[in-house]
Amino acid sequence: MKKSIQLNNQHFDLHFSGAVYWPEEQMLLISDVHLGKISHFRKYGSAVPNSAITENFDRLNNVIAQFQPKSICFLGDLFHSSLNLEWDLFQSWMQTITAKVVLVAGNHDIISHLKYEELGVKVLSELQIGTFLLTHHPEEREGFFNFCGHLHPGFKLRGLGRQQLNLRCFYINEQQLIFPAFGEFTGNYWINPKEGDRIFAITKKEVILVY
Amino acid sequence: MNRNELFTLAENWFAKQNWKAFAFQKQTWTAYLQGKHGLLNAPTGSGKTYALWVPIVLDYIKNNPDYKTKHKKGLKAIWITPLRALSVEIAQSATRFAEEMGTSLTVGIRTGDTSQKERAAQKRQMPDLLITTPESLQLLLASKNYDKTFKDLNAIVIDEWHELLGTKRGVQVELGLSRLKTISKNLKIWGISATIGNLQQAREVLLGPNSEAFNNSELIRAKLNKKISVKSIIPKKMEKFPWRGHLGLHLIDEVVPIIKASKTTLLFTNTRSQCELWFQKLLNKYPEFAGEMAMHHGSINKETRLWVEQAIRDETLKAVVCTSSLDLGVDFAPVETIIQIGGPKGVARFIQRAGRSGHQPGKESVIHFLPTHAIELIEAAALQKAVKETVVEDRIPYLQSFDVLVQYLTTLAVSNGFFPANIYREIKSTFCFQELTEDQWKWVLNFITKGSQSLQAYDEYKKVEIEENGKFKVNDRGVAMRHRLQIGTIVSDAVLTVKYMKGGYIGSIEEWFISKLKPGDVFTFAGRNLELVRIKNMQVIVKTSKQKTSRVPSWQGGRMAFSAQMSELLREEMYEAAASMELPSSSVRSSELKALRPIFKRQIRESIIPKSEEFLIETFKTREGYHAIFYPFEGRFVHEALGSLLAYRISLLTPISFTLAFNDYGFELLSDQEIDMEQVLDNDLFSFDFLMDDLYKSLNASEMARRKFRDIAVIAGLVFTGFPNKLIKTKHLQSNSQLLFSVFKDHEPENLLFLQAYRETFEHQLEEGRLRLSLERIAKQQIIWKQCEKPTPFSFPIITDRLREKLSSEKLEDRIRRMLKQLEK
Repeated sequence: MKKSIQLNNQHFDLHFSGAVYWPEEQMLLISDVHLGKISHFRKYGSAVPNSAITENFDRLNNVIAQFQPKSICFLGDLFHSSLNLEWDLFQSWMQTITAKVVLVAGNHDIISHLKYEELGVKVLSELQIGTFLLTHHPEEREGFFNFCGHLHPGFKLRGLGRQQLNLRCFYINEQQLIFPAFGEFTGNYWINPKEGDRIFAITKKEVILVY
Repeated sequence: MNRNELFTLAENWFAKQNWKAFAFQKQTWTAYLQGKHGLLNAPTGSGKTYALWVPIVLDYIKNNPDYKTKHKKGLKAIWITPLRALSVEIAQSATRFAEEMGTSLTVGIRTGDTSQKERAAQKRQMPDLLITTPESLQLLLASKNYDKTFKDLNAIVIDEWHELLGTKRGVQVELGLSRLKTISKNLKIWGISATIGNLQQAREVLLGPNSEAFNNSELIRAKLNKKISVKSIIPKKMEKFPWRGHLGLHLIDEVVPIIKASKTTLLFTNTRSQCELWFQKLLNKYPEFAGEMAMHHGSINKETRLWVEQAIRDETLKAVVCTSSLDLGVDFAPVETIIQIGGPKGVARFIQRAGRSGHQPGKESVIHFLPTHAIELIEAAALQKAVKETVVEDRIPYLQSFDVLVQYLTTLAVSNGFFPANIYREIKSTFCFQELTEDQWKWVLNFITKGSQSLQAYDEYKKVEIEENGKFKVNDRGVAMRHRLQIGTIVSDAVLTVKYMKGGYIGSIEEWFISKLKPGDVFTFAGRNLELVRIKNMQVIVKTSKQKTSRVPSWQGGRMAFSAQMSELLREEMYEAAASMELPSSSVRSSELKALRPIFKRQIRESIIPKSEEFLIETFKTREGYHAIFYPFEGRFVHEALGSLLAYRISLLTPISFTLAFNDYGFELLSDQEIDMEQVLDNDLFSFDFLMDDLYKSLNASEMARRKFRDIAVIAGLVFTGFPNKLIKTKHLQSNSQLLFSVFKDHEPENLLFLQAYRETFEHQLEEGRLRLSLERIAKQQIIWKQCEKPTPFSFPIITDRLREKLSSEKLEDRIRRMLKQLEK
């Protein structure tokens, strides 16, 4: 279900949904949800099934129910594009949330910060907590360990008999933990890990160290 | 003027050219002037253009007695051709006849290559004859007041109908015709087709089953007996002949004397990459050909292609390396010799290619077959027989292509808008949608207006709107524009333009190839070594490179399968080969089989050559894992299905994961665990029971439907691919169809487009009917299982295939763990 790891003497639970829970801070970290993507496509005449829209919220609710965090930090690309009716869904969803919500804005987050602040969501360009630097784009900064998203990392696991599995994953190197995309209907960037890196693949129910 | 007088006019013109009209031409003239529709079965270069253009002009003369002094303007005839390359040729012939007959009839071309300026001019005043492609016809239907444009249309000719029949472009044509039948009064519909197995059906598809047009139509066959002689190029030393491979470059020296001995030679290759390689290697090895040799394939720019075609006609070229891009139409009288490199995969195609040579009536066509690997020599022998007996394939028409229907309805909504009740009747009259139910029709209408079957509160779906009077109409300019751009992209792969840094268009290339390259990498394209500088806005910017080694793009269209007829001939040849091994070498007559003897001996040392009552299975172990090879000799599509089926059934017995490889001879199941063959045989895994059910389940895993869905998503407008040459930023709308397929699978599995992907897999990819027949055959055969020490000559081309399917019955998590464990070892 989840995998616990330690980074800079802090604990982190990697969840199969792609979220990470940080018990010391009671904070839930989630990246690249891309809300509104399906509505965006539909608005432009591409009939992606609209029942998939609620899926993202269902999954958010499940993971929140499991960890009961005090705060939730989205690492960017919460919304895929400009305002659409999915914002209303987000608005009503926010009313059900008791945790504090922070958004570290990503390249897709073009909706006005004022709109977020109306809902009580704080929008930041980055967030520093102790020795941890939370951003959307991967960054390298002296003295900090970076949590980020943006890439939508995936891993191709190869085996005997020419077998290959394509898996979504958490990618951890010396100074970064790159999150998988949490959202439904998002693509992948295939990671080529270096010696010493770690890759945790996520399936529909487990987190497995594969590299 | 009566018919005789009209005929005399035409025949006088023929006499002036020192020609004599063929019987089939006159038959077609008669039928046309009687107001009939029909299908003309005539090969390329037989004078088919004049069979139909002549009566169209004569009809005009008849209705306009003062045709020499007065010109009645407006579109009168449309000529549809599947390849734009053919349009020039047709325009030239048509213009010549129209002018010399003293009419002022004008001829125009409208394809993707036509300039914006010319299109605009055509919009103001259509030519009398418009030569165009199926896509451009759809685009005309997408423009406002198209009904006025087509009002006085008298004739529509669908050239090379056999090429369109088994494709979705054929469905586009069917739908377009259904509309034209209503809006153009007195329309006569004619098709021209090369010989295929199902000509009668081809006519039915063209004209509509039981339609008025069909009941008033004729099938006219040009009986031109053409002699074809097939010669195999047999390597002198079999020992060095490779067991696998598909390029055939080792026989390059054997090809040169043939080129030298002939005026013009066409070398047909199966893929564009093979074409590029052959061209380069020939030039490197025989620099004296420089300037006398050219290359022709679909990704090269239009100017170069047209130049090559003209040079063939002018007899200034000694050899042209080409792909199927030169299969159709264009009449090249000077071509004397054809060389087919590698198996042509189908008899009809092979005969058609042979027909590209010796075009003058009475001349013999010569085609040389160059096998690219040893086993292909058997194919050579089979082809000789096929040509002798003219066994040709059917082209299977598409049924219920909802993607094309969605596209077509949106097209009508973009231009004039439509009322469903009228259009439903027209659509039901086509072959493709004759079984369309009211429910399906409602589904499609809901899909284009609501984007789903039920209206949701928070939905912003926007495409086709229903106006107050009930008219279905697209009013959003963005939707209309994207739709028009998308109409042409019925071919699936995203295509990028290749350009020099300093400007200058070289051609187009598939995105998936380019995406594997980094700036600085060198690749071969259009016969040149090019260095990738950058990719920007759907453009690949390159500069010339002096580097010798380079990567050659492989285009995905290249993988074709054996037809049923070809497979049968191949099996017979194989059985003959088995029998011949029991004879002394001196009494084997076929030179191909004689040449193959050393390889057959190797095969027999490890395994057997199956006889007609035998079904061969080979197993062995290599570093890669445990191999099991099965040899049904049924063509790659059937093998793909059989392979998936068997893999699935084995996986029911025990948790196991496979990769599948297949070619036209057999298929392989490769696993990291040993396959219990005893168990396979004991459990009768080739049984018919639950065939469809098992196939469905096996395919779920093997992803064939997912691939089919790609085209469907593009055609139905679910995925917007953008358009080459148009710098429109569409990144925020690009999604990949793979992702989309998964979303449909999880959220809308009853979607007709999603289901269509499966149906197409069964009907067109797997050829379900053939699969049943082969299972029947296998049931009667004795299974021979050989446990081999090492790979056999027969297995070699299969096990080295890199393109593989997957199938697994293990839980994902278990599989990951096991793979990791094995990697640790």
